[in-house]
Amino acid sequence: MKKSIITIVAVVAVVMALTACLAACGGNGKTDAEYILDKGTLICGITLYEPMNYADEDGEMTGFDTEFAEAVCAKLGIEAKFQVIKWGSKEVELNGKYIDCIWNGFTVTEKRKENIEFTKSYLNNTQCVVVKTSALADFISAASCAGKRGTAEQGSAGETAAKDLTSAYTASGSQMSALTDLSSGNSDFAVVDVVLANQIVGKGDYASLSIVQSIQLESEEYAVGFRKGSDMAAKVNAVIDELLADGTLQRLAEKYGVDGQLIK
Amino acid sequence: MNFSQVTLQLLQGFGVTCLLFILTLVFSLPLGLLVCAGSRTRFKPLRYLTRAFVWVIRGTPLMLQLFVVFYVPGMVFDAPIFANLSNGRFVAALIAFVINYACYFSEIYRGGIESVSVGQYEASAVLGMSKWQTFLHVVLPQVIKRIVPPIGNEIITLVKDTSLARVIAVFDIIMVAENILSLHALIWPLFYAGVFFLLFNGLVTMLLRFAERKLDYYKI
Repeated sequence: MKKSIITIVAVVAVVMALTACLAACGGNGKTDAEYILDKGTLICGITLYEPMNYADEDGEMTGFDTEFAEAVCAKLGIEAKFQVIKWGSKEVELNGKYIDCIWNGFTVTEKRKENIEFTKSYLNNTQCVVVKTSALADFISAASCAGKRGTAEQGSAGETAAKDLTSAYTASGSQMSALTDLSSGNSDFAVVDVVLANQIVGKGDYASLSIVQSIQLESEEYAVGFRKGSDMAAKVNAVIDELLADGTLQRLAEKYGVDGQLIK
Repeated sequence: MNFSQVTLQLLQGFGVTCLLFILTLVFSLPLGLLVCAGSRTRFKPLRYLTRAFVWVIRGTPLMLQLFVVFYVPGMVFDAPIFANLSNGRFVAALIAFVINYACYFSEIYRGGIESVSVGQYEASAVLGMSKWQTFLHVVLPQVIKRIVPPIGNEIITLVKDTSLARVIAVFDIIMVAENILSLHALIWPLFYAGVFFLLFNGLVTMLLRFAERKLDYYKI
C-alpha cells in the first residue's frame, strides 16, 4: 500500500515537471518573421506533383511553386528549402516548426483561415470532374452526376463539390487514389484540381480517363500558408506584388502553363 | 519512366527500408531484455511502471507513436529537435520502432523465461549450482530455443511495418512508389515494391529456419 502511494506521487511529480517545462519552454520572444529571417532559410512543405513542385530529369527540384518560392526568398535575402511532407500532416508540420510554410498549390478556404495565415492568392484553381473516356457520353451536365458513384480527396475542396453532385459519395486518401479508384472501376467519377488533372489525366495508367469539359464547378484560389498570426505573410505579400509588377510571375506562369490562372 | 528507372528509384527507397529494419533489430533485441528485466523485477514501483509502459506501447497504434516521437518535441515544447538533423525523420522513426519492438520482444522473452518449470530450478539448487549458473546453463538454452519462432514472427512483421515510417515522410520504398504514382501516373511500381518485401522476407525466413536447425542439437 505504502509503495503504491509512493508510485502515484512519483508519477504526479513527473507530470507536473513536464507541465512546468511546457509553460516555461514555449516561445522565445521573437516574431515568426524574425525567427525565419534570422535562421536564413524558409522551409517550404511540399508534396511532389507537376506542375507545382517536382524533380526534373536530373533530380533537381523544379516547378511553378518551386521557382516562385526561390524568387521570393531571393528578394528577402534568405534561402528556400523544400521538405516533402505527407499532405495529411501539413498543419502539424507547420505548427511544430518542421516547416515554415505550405507552398504547394494550397487552396484557401474559410475553415483553413481559422488555423493558417494565408498570403494573398496567386493562382485560380477550379475543381473538375474526371471520368473514364468510355463513359464520357453519360456526363453532359452537373445533373448527370446525380446517383453516380463519386469520389474525391478526403477534406479537399473537391470533396465538397463531389458531395453536392451526388449522394453516392466515398472519400479517397489522396487525389491520386481518387483517380485510381476511378480507373479501377470503383467509382464513376472523381473531382480533383484542374491543375493536377491537366498534367496527369491521359498519362500512364490514367490514359483511359478524361476531364469533363462541359461541367463547370466553382473556382477557388491558391495561396501560401504560414503559421496563424505570422507576420511573415505580410512580408511575402509585399514581395509577391514586386514580382507581379516586374513580370517575373507572368514569365514563370507561362513557363509552366498556368498563365491562364494567374491572379494579377 | 521505364522498368530500370523505376527499379533504380525503388532500390534507393529499399535501402532506407533495410537500414531501418536492421538498426531497429540491433537496438530493440537487447533493449527488450532490459524491459523484460524491468517487468520481472521484485522492486514493485519499477515493475508497475515498466508494465504500464509496455501496456501503452502495445496498446496504441505504432502510427501514433511515430507522430508522438516526431511531432511532440516541436508542437508541445517548441523544440523541433529532429528538424535540425539532416536525417532527423529517419532517426525519429528509428526511435519509435525500437521502443515499440523492444516492448513486444520483452514479452516474448518473459514468456520464454517463465516457461521453464520450478522443478528445474530446484534440481539445479540441489546440484549446488548458483543462481547465475542455473540461468546461464539450464534456463537460457531452453529459452533461446523456445523464443526463436515467435521472435521470427515479429521480425517478419517488422520488415513490413517499416513502411509505416512514411507517415512522417521518411523516404522508404512505399513512399518512393507513391511519389512515382503522383508524378508519372504509374500504379504498377507500388505492386512492384511488394515484390521487394516478398523476396526480402523469403531471405529472412530462410535465415530463421537455419537458426532453428542450428539449435536442433538438443531437445527440450
